[in-house]
Amino acid sequence: MSKAWKVLGMAAAMVLIGGACTDPTVQPKSIVSNANFFADPSSYKEFLAKIYVGLAVGGQSGGDGNTDIQYIDGGFSQYMRLYWELEELPTDEAVIAWGDQTLPEINTQGWNSSNRFTSAMYYRVFFQVGMANEFLRETTDAALASRGVSPTLKATIQTYRAEARFLRALSYWHGLDFFGNIPLVTENDPLASEPKQATRAQIYNYVVSELTAIRTQLPVSTPAPDAAIYGRATQGAADMLLAELYLNAGVYTGTPDYADALTSASNVISSGLYQINPVFQNNFTADNNNSPELIFSVPEDGQHTQTYGSTNFIIHASCGNSLGNGTLAVDGCWYGIRLKPSAYALFQAGDGRGAVAFTSGQTIAVGAINNFGNGVLYPKYTNKTSGGGTGSNISFADTDFPMFRLAEAYLIYAEASLRGGGGTRAQALTYVNALRARAFGDTLHQIPDSTFTTQTILDERGRELMWEGHRRTDLVRYGLFTGGTYLWAWKGANAYGTDSTAVATPSSRDLYPIPANVLIANPNLKQNPGY
Amino acid sequence: MRLGRLIGGALLLGSASLSAQATGTIRGHVVSNDVNHAALAGVTVSAGSHRTVTLSDGSYLLLGVPAGADSVRARIIGYGPQSKAYSLQGNDTAQVDFALEPQAVTLAEVVAIGYGTARAGDVTGSQKQVGTADFNPGAVVSPQNLMEDKVSGVQVVDNNQPGGGLSIRIRGTASINASSEPLYVVDGVPLGTGSGGGVSAGNDPLNFLNPNDIESITILKDAASAAIYGSNASNGVVLITTKSGQGQAHVTYGGSYMSSSVTRVPSMLNASQFAAAVAQYAPAAVPQLGTSNTNWFDLIDRTGTGQSHNLALAGSGATSNYRLSLGYLNQDGIIQGSSTQQIQLGVNYNQRLYNDRLSLHTTLQGARSYDTFAPGGVLSNAAQMGPTQPEFDGTSATGYYNWPGNSLTSADNPVEILNNALDHGTTYRSVGNVEAKYDFSNWNALRGLTATARVGYDVTYADRVSFYANNIHQQTKNGTDGSYFEGQSQQANTLLETFLDYQPPVSVGPGNFDFTGGYSYSQSHSRYPTTSATQLSTNALGDAGIPQAGTILTSVDLEDSKLISFFGRAGYNINDRYLVSASIRRDGSSRFGPGNQWGNFPAASVGWRISQEPFMQSIGAISDLKLRGSWGKTGNQSFGNYLFDPTFTACNATAEAQLGNQFVCPFRPSAVDPNLKWESTTTWDFGADYALFGSRFSGSIDWYNKKTDGLLFTIPIDPASNLSNFLLTNIGSMKNTGFDFDITARLLDAAPNGGLSWNTSFNVSHNVNTLTSINPNVPGTGSQIPTGGIAGGVGSTVQILEPGQPINSFYVCRQVYQNGKPEEGHYLTLAGADTTGCAIGANTVAEHDPAPHWIFGFTSNMTFHRFDFSFTLRAWLGNYVYNNVASNVGDYRELTDGSSPYNLSTSVLATGFKTQQLLSDYYVENGSFLRMDNIMVGYTFPFQAQRLRVYALIQNAFTITGYSGVDPTAGLNGIDNNIYPRSRTFTGGLDVQF
Repeated sequence: MSKAWKVLGMAAAMVLIGGACTDPTVQPKSIVSNANFFADPSSYKEFLAKIYVGLAVGGQSGGDGNTDIQYIDGGFSQYMRLYWELEELPTDEAVIAWGDQTLPEINTQGWNSSNRFTSAMYYRVFFQVGMANEFLRETTDAALASRGVSPTLKATIQTYRAEARFLRALSYWHGLDFFGNIPLVTENDPLASEPKQATRAQIYNYVVSELTAIRTQLPVSTPAPDAAIYGRATQGAADMLLAELYLNAGVYTGTPDYADALTSASNVISSGLYQINPVFQNNFTADNNNSPELIFSVPEDGQHTQTYGSTNFIIHASCGNSLGNGTLAVDGCWYGIRLKPSAYALFQAGDGRGAVAFTSGQTIAVGAINNFGNGVLYPKYTNKTSGGGTGSNISFADTDFPMFRLAEAYLIYAEASLRGGGGTRAQALTYVNALRARAFGDTLHQIPDSTFTTQTILDERGRELMWEGHRRTDLVRYGLFTGGTYLWAWKGANAYGTDSTAVATPSSRDLYPIPANVLIANPNLKQNPGY
Repeated sequence: MRLGRLIGGALLLGSASLSAQATGTIRGHVVSNDVNHAALAGVTVSAGSHRTVTLSDGSYLLLGVPAGADSVRARIIGYGPQSKAYSLQGNDTAQVDFALEPQAVTLAEVVAIGYGTARAGDVTGSQKQVGTADFNPGAVVSPQNLMEDKVSGVQVVDNNQPGGGLSIRIRGTASINASSEPLYVVDGVPLGTGSGGGVSAGNDPLNFLNPNDIESITILKDAASAAIYGSNASNGVVLITTKSGQGQAHVTYGGSYMSSSVTRVPSMLNASQFAAAVAQYAPAAVPQLGTSNTNWFDLIDRTGTGQSHNLALAGSGATSNYRLSLGYLNQDGIIQGSSTQQIQLGVNYNQRLYNDRLSLHTTLQGARSYDTFAPGGVLSNAAQMGPTQPEFDGTSATGYYNWPGNSLTSADNPVEILNNALDHGTTYRSVGNVEAKYDFSNWNALRGLTATARVGYDVTYADRVSFYANNIHQQTKNGTDGSYFEGQSQQANTLLETFLDYQPPVSVGPGNFDFTGGYSYSQSHSRYPTTSATQLSTNALGDAGIPQAGTILTSVDLEDSKLISFFGRAGYNINDRYLVSASIRRDGSSRFGPGNQWGNFPAASVGWRISQEPFMQSIGAISDLKLRGSWGKTGNQSFGNYLFDPTFTACNATAEAQLGNQFVCPFRPSAVDPNLKWESTTTWDFGADYALFGSRFSGSIDWYNKKTDGLLFTIPIDPASNLSNFLLTNIGSMKNTGFDFDITARLLDAAPNGGLSWNTSFNVSHNVNTLTSINPNVPGTGSQIPTGGIAGGVGSTVQILEPGQPINSFYVCRQVYQNGKPEEGHYLTLAGADTTGCAIGANTVAEHDPAPHWIFGFTSNMTFHRFDFSFTLRAWLGNYVYNNVASNVGDYRELTDGSSPYNLSTSVLATGFKTQQLLSDYYVENGSFLRMDNIMVGYTFPFQAQRLRVYALIQNAFTITGYSGVDPTAGLNGIDNNIYPRSRTFTGGLDVQF
């Protein structure tokens, strides 16, 4: 019997020993995962780089391959390309010829909630927010302590965290400006939750508080161009973003805040780090990173940062017909974008900003959206260097997207001041005329105090910031984007038709719709009115 | 018949009470009372409340039987029970022998089940075992081919290459983004922790197993029989048992020679038709035309020969048996450059120790496969190269002719590729298993208990190498200028299993219990290094190395996975009449995230041997009838590792971020569903096993309904909720419903002097697949996913995943015909009106699917004196095939689309299409067919008292089909785009034993 028990005991032991192995967890080895990625001290910078490059390239491969978002081509949906299209095409500034599904409607404010481009913009905004949130989750004090991060690296990471929060604030600004009430998700919300919708004012307040909190923690800049921190967010960038937010506070919250807009713009101007570039055009060249005027830009590079979006899109798409690709130092023309007649009409003779426009072989009127010969070309951006040389790669431009530059700080100061935000009217006029002096190369075209109104400033913004991605926001702030007060060719017209006669558009068009797919996926969300 | 673990019932009648009186021993022998008086293993013998089962030699021993007079009973399914009186003195031994009368032989057969064996008559799930006698004959490279056509509910799809890949679908396809292949279990060792047969260098991974070493293949079809394999069982389970030694030491040899030829290649224009077409539709290309008359397919195909030799040494002693085998097979494919060669070694050794209480069972299979493949592009270029052009051109770098201009838009000379490129793979694989089983029956308290421990391994090293010379047109035209690729798959899987079986020696209530419970631990480690190079500086080294190349890329991927399981099964058997069984498996898998690692997979089944009921006894026609019902839940975890785990994707060098004066490679975290888990299938099965007219007819019939939930799909999500706007998650659901029917008929029994005998078997399978839902949040067809990529235009697809339709339904437009001829560009709208153009989403209709709705298999075996004659037929009904060769180059535009004209499909002569009509349902053809899979004639000589048999057979003798392309079984997805043609093989061979 004892033998029996021994054998039975062995059998039982065998079962139990086996049974003791009950943890099926396996750590991935040759896949970069949370478990091993952060073992490399450079990982934090590489992660932060993703949030930055999310503005510059549509995916993890050059030319927007391995895309960050699905259901649309990576280059089509590149962040700055979409941003530019949604800020420019529905306004009085630009029109695009192509017939890609749901693109023509952007020209005429005719989009709906299934529009692929407005939807992709929504995805891009939250992709950026999601990346920043994840970065912040992975760099909490507790997370860093658990990985034994050195004090030096930890200090560096604190700066990175501030940059991530800046980039998140930037995209949230785009999100609230385009879409109104959107979810407010932060690093404190777990992944895979079902986000709740916040009001536009809540997002606004959050973004302002974030920027106020981090503006002094960002990398410190020496006078621009500061090659060592070029492309990264600085205090100047945060102040410019704050100025943009405050300037539009009335739209976002119902309560204007021109005083803070003026203060923020003044902070930028008085920092002394930025100078008006004597040559206006050098803000848009292949070597525009050398411009002392740029406060924050999205760097592109023909060798290292290749995209079919951003400036590379604008440059390629803005040439064609008599304007050859060689003029802009690119490999070919895409025959896409032109000025709407209302934009061309802003320029007086002698204005260097208007002199860029290319009229040879083009009509001023846009008879048909899809006819590239209709509308004046505007090769403001180029892949040529300031010295006339060619960028490093004719397929992919070196030109950086100038998101914030000093000239706009001048214009914000001026507008805020005129709208009662403080400062002096004289100073405001001085700033505007400084820009005009550069544009005309003389002081003969100064605006007199007698005609200096907010409308003057809107027109000046049009001339100075033409095709820089501000127009829709400006027109909304002025109450002119929708409705019938201000009509321009094709506004509210049939994008596929041949009649460019403008009609009033409903005020619901001041906001883009939340994508239909997102509403299906998250029942917490309510669509904007009018969609 | 193997010594096996027996789950089953015994009949314990009476209620003789145990008392402390004198006891004795009853021993004896049980044989079958048919002509050969074979020993019957596994017969339940009982005296009073004492019960035992017979060993493999039919002997039994009942200890501690109370002295006195009573009767002893012997009972086994398939034989009539017998009862014999005995009279026993204390400490005495009585001898009681039985010769049982066979009733329904098939029901007594011991069949493999998950973690054990059982008598067919006791099984309450839906499963079917195929043994050597029923296997398909001839040169079979992959074991799955042995049971093709033999089992209802099983679809076998061959890629036609020798030893090429086989796909098996058991009762339809149950997954889309995970594997739908069944789990293979060889001698108890599951191959891989996911379903499927393992890794290889390109051909079927099961080729390591010599088909001649296989004793039986058992298909577990319903959840009740498969659920004990838990999260790997949703696609069904295939249990393979290898042969063990029996009888006196003997050697068997089997040898055969094969010769294969092409049955059908794509029908393309000949030289004069091509020249005429070019003259009419592409006059600018006429100066390019040559005056040759080249049939390119004739230049790349061949008659493939082969041979196979199998040698086995087997035998058994008093306490051991053994079998050693050596196999060799070499077969050339019918397309030049393709061949397979297998060298296989098998060992099967059993040793019984301690009065048979401990049994050790060892199996080992080891093989080397060397496969060569026709280089990529040979088949498509043979179809598209101009037949007016010559094979050779003395002025070219390789000596072969090509169209002028080194252009991307012209066909390449297929013979140039064939003779200047290499593609081959070598696979070494070994699967082995040591099993120890201890029977505790010697100790009264533990009677009926056995413990089993099993240690197994599965090691594979596979190496695939391809080389394309740098001066051939295919490489120079796009600047690749020569390419080399090497990819390895190295995988080591290990398995530890321990389990206990317990059959309480006394009845509980009116019936008997049996229990099985155990633990299983398996892990897999794989390594996949690759090297690729392009722009080779020289061809001197061929596939042997890379001397210097423009670009060389290497990568390595390591994959680990684990599966830890607890499982249990309980059966309850009342009088062999009422049978109940329940099982559960609890699986912990590394493929799922924390919190989702563990899943339970329960199943339950009942059986009612209604033929045992008194009211059935009067129906003489029914020999046996068992009604069965089962329910169970199984899983499918055969998808990638780490999918729940957030990972980081690296950038490439042209997507870097400029941070200051530095370019930084960004890393992107992925959006994952941390709650990702197995796809789950719930199956109902109702069926019957029957034997009629003295078991002359027997078989089974089953109706089933499989519902799969939690199908993996990538769906749009709220981008604010995660790191992307899309996510792979468990969301869809799908249904497979159908029935299986098998019948075997002993039509004529051989007369004692060897007259005509004739057996046939027939099976029918019917399955209807419906994709019930992709994303329940999206109404209607809004969640459609296009599938079925074809040649012709970038990104063109012809199939759709659409809720309410079978998966991969064709999604094309209905062609308008005029006088029986398709009217170019005219299609029906959804309302049935004539319109021009076919636009996806506008007038495309999801109809017809590539899966057969009906599959029939028919086998006939006849013997007449020393002759034997057999054949196997197969038919599919309701499967559709898209003829992509015809649609891609079936229009005159292809003559002008490139720098040189492509040859056209002869379909253009019927349609007259001037432009491609890829989305016309003209190309979606009914692929129903009837095929003679094999016909064999044999003759057996008496040879020194052993047998020597010679035979001749034809595989794939003929196919009757209305399909116009190469093969109506064109892959699982039914897209026929330059597939490998099917071969017809003649084999002559002999089998001898001495």
